Amino acid sequence: MGVPYLAVRGLLGSDLLSYRDDFLVRENPFNAGEQTVLAQSIRPDVAVFHALKADKFGNAITPGRRDDAMMARAASTVIVTTEEVIEDRLKETDAISSTFINGLDVAAVAHVPLGAHPCGCGTLYDLDEIHFAKYIQAARSDQTFSSYLKEYIYDLDSHEEYLAKVNSSANSVHLA
Amino acid sequence: MKGARYTNEEMMVVSIARQVRDFETVAVGAVSPVPAAGCILAEQMYAPNITLLMLDVEEYYPFSAGSSELHFLAQRGELDLFFLSGVQIDEHANFNLHVIGNYRRPDVRLAGAYGSGMLYYMARRVIFFRTEHSLRTFVPKVDFVSGAGVTPDTVYRQGGPSLVITPKGILEWDNRTAQWKILYVQPASSYHDVQAHTGFELRPSDSFRYAAPPTNKELSCLRTVARYKLEATYPDFFQNNVLRD
Repeated sequence: MGVPYLAVRGLLGSDLLSYRDDFLVRENPFNAGEQTVLAQSIRPDVAVFHALKADKFGNAITPGRRDDAMMARAASTVIVTTEEVIEDRLKETDAISSTFINGLDVAAVAHVPLGAHPCGCGTLYDLDEIHFAKYIQAARSDQTFSSYLKEYIYDLDSHEEYLAKVNSSANSVHLA
Repeated sequence: MKGARYTNEEMMVVSIARQVRDFETVAVGAVSPVPAAGCILAEQMYAPNITLLMLDVEEYYPFSAGSSELHFLAQRGELDLFFLSGVQIDEHANFNLHVIGNYRRPDVRLAGAYGSGMLYYMARRVIFFRTEHSLRTFVPKVDFVSGAGVTPDTVYRQGGPSLVITPKGILEWDNRTAQWKILYVQPASSYHDVQAHTGFELRPSDSFRYAAPPTNKELSCLRTVARYKLEATYPDFFQNNVLRD
């Protein structure tokens, strides 16, 4: 939408309003006496999506509910990683039960098969629950998280190496 | 078949089905298998003319855009019934889906309220569902107010708290006295059991009753039709919490 803020109903009385400085309570100028919440728009610098398919023009199709399209519009820079790169230009009508991200909004596309791991990608593959449990454990403290990052990201040279590593761990066979 | 076996979750599904009113526009959010199954049951058995919208269930999500469509529908005032969970629910019908403990340094950070801080005000009725009826769920005061049960007249509000459904009972929000009251006690529980596991004082509603156990028809419908329609979205729920006929 590109508007600076939106007026929304609800939320009044929620503790969110005491912690979030991007929510303000103001009177509805068109209905005296009614309090509304003004929510500042969110403009991320970068948004990253993992797509089922993308073309060289930046058009992409991501699985699931169509909230991705709104996030792609909101972000200044959009990067798409994709399972597959398609030769022909993708169209909005190619996204049935999935989401079309317009190439206009996309800065870069990278071909990264299985790039959603440890998350899943539509019906192509499920999330890797074993790896997720490991991730959640690691995320409990800065120290354990740093060693997770070192083991699975910094010490590896490529996505292929990462895949080989996580695929060798038990129960990730569905990735194969 | 007297005394058919059923799970706590099945009792909750049936309880929800009995509370949906015909011709309502009803929406079910993501990760909500109990109300999703309850609404399928309602549509099949008791309320065939509802308009049913469910996130993550393609057959019941007739919108081209994402979940924003559901939120906008509620903002327009077109939503009659919505279901919320609450990790904590308090005496004043405030609910908490954000943190246990202090917001800045929480003991537990929960997944968040998503649209519920708006839906709680804009749906005409909100029914809470909670599989755990305990003193840590039903507290005198929530650690964090994700949505408020009662608001001043300056707040535009279409509705709010209506019922809480648990395996032990159904609490009804009395708007006049701003109190939760016991409407039903589930077959496996007792009045004392409900009160003993609730962290604030309850009174009986004027229409207080013991709930009837699920009928065979309700159970078969849940175990066949609801399973067929929802199993792809909620495989674990049907595997673990819904029996086979």
